[in-house]
Amino acid sequence: MIKIIKLIIEEHREFRSQIMMLAKSDLIATYRGAALGWAWAFVKPIIHLAVFWFAFTVGLRHGKPVNGFPYLLWLMAGFLPWFYMRDMITGGASCIRKYKHLVTKIKFPISIIPTFTSISNFAVHIAITTVTIIVFCLFGKFPDIYYLQIPFYMLLMFVFYEAWSLFAGMLSSVSVDFLNLVKSFVQALFWMSGVIYNVDKIHNPTVRVILKFNPITVISGGYRKAFIYKEWFWEDKVELLGYTTTFTVVFLLALWAYSKLRKEIPDVL
Amino acid sequence: MTSQDSAETAADKLRKSRMTMAKKKKEAPVVVRFTNVSKEYKLYKTDRARFKSLFSKKIPYKTKKAVNNLSFELHRGEGLALIGRNGAGKSTILKMITGVSFPTEGEIFVDGTISALLELSSGFDREASGMENIRLKCSLMGMSDEEIDKVIPEIVEFADLGEYIDQPLRSYSSGMKARLGFAISVNSNPDILIVDEALSVGDKQFRKKCTKKVQEIMNDSKVTLLFVTHSLQTAQDFCDRGIVLEKGTKLFEGDIEEAIEFYDSRM
Repeated sequence: MIKIIKLIIEEHREFRSQIMMLAKSDLIATYRGAALGWAWAFVKPIIHLAVFWFAFTVGLRHGKPVNGFPYLLWLMAGFLPWFYMRDMITGGASCIRKYKHLVTKIKFPISIIPTFTSISNFAVHIAITTVTIIVFCLFGKFPDIYYLQIPFYMLLMFVFYEAWSLFAGMLSSVSVDFLNLVKSFVQALFWMSGVIYNVDKIHNPTVRVILKFNPITVISGGYRKAFIYKEWFWEDKVELLGYTTTFTVVFLLALWAYSKLRKEIPDVL
Repeated sequence: MTSQDSAETAADKLRKSRMTMAKKKKEAPVVVRFTNVSKEYKLYKTDRARFKSLFSKKIPYKTKKAVNNLSFELHRGEGLALIGRNGAGKSTILKMITGVSFPTEGEIFVDGTISALLELSSGFDREASGMENIRLKCSLMGMSDEEIDKVIPEIVEFADLGEYIDQPLRSYSSGMKARLGFAISVNSNPDILIVDEALSVGDKQFRKKCTKKVQEIMNDSKVTLLFVTHSLQTAQDFCDRGIVLEKGTKLFEGDIEEAIEFYDSRM
């Protein structure tokens, strides 16, 4: 187990300069060839957000202000990390397939592929976060001490999806069925998380706890803690426990997949 | 004397000079060593069966032995030809030397940077320009930015793509892609050069250029060449030793002339 961790770290150290370059070219490749180019990184989330805002405030007549913040801002704070997580759930699972030529044509450690895919998505996340903070300022809600938690939750999110991509990417390379399974579960994961409702308001205590084992709930809720609720991350112990448990499981699964499949995947892809 | 004749005598000369060098090379350090290497592919009936096999050892599969208990050594500066029909295990051996694929049993030792002229046009980013692809590929081969800046003019000149160098790769013809691939592999100053059927792509003019370039590289006695081909003539031009393979097993190892004779006699 420790040997595999050491191996992955060693591979990252050896290829550190290539990681940033590949992340950059992945980012450019995603947005190149479209007339609007970079604007798509913002247009997609804006439309997404607008649809949900319309459905909840106009359609369901639900959107009351939360903790003194307009409902739109509440929605925005939770959706912000969701865009990254959504891209990483499917994109992470398909990343090794996507960069097949790095696996089958040249000597290249497979563990690097999830890392630069993740970094590439993360760059977009940073940009959207900046825009979000500007929007909050326009509404007269300026940054305060609770914003210090944002980098912390970014780190939690990054580490979790790095492990997830390694695990899911390896399994998807062996079986397309797994990739399809992941793709069909994205919607389910979204609605079973706290992105569009406050998990703490659920009456059934069992469901409430279970949902806190969904890392999407924890991360999304974490951003809202910083932006809206003005709470600290250590205040909710269940949430921290839930996140740590899920992360440990996914992390171990990633190590298991890497040690078991690392040498087999070049022959299979 | 026709131009073909003169080309042949030039090749002859090169071979002779290499033959005399070959004796010295016996003492040169080993750059590639295979020790009892075997490679087995697991063949499952379906992808689903392969997926299930992750969780259970009971899933049945057939094995195909691509390489069987192979041992050989390659010294610095040598030229070695792997000769054999389709399915002899040549590509598998190359994949294992380049580090793409892993052996099931045995040990492989490789010392030095490898440049493989395998499937020249693969591994490119279709949306990126030729120039960006040069940077990308060189960097993946482990070259630093300064080294890349140094070799870029040579690559651009050799590939001879003109204006197309700044166009996205999807607008390239397959010949242009092969040219770019060859230019990168051959100009990246490798210690070990692996040549697959690469020299048989492109038009006659480009083939000639490639052959000349490989000869140039081989004149530098530090570069080791591993050559895989059906074309015995080209093998004879570049190599001083040959290994004949059949169904993953080594049948013969020795001087290139003898190896070719042995291979011909079995056909």
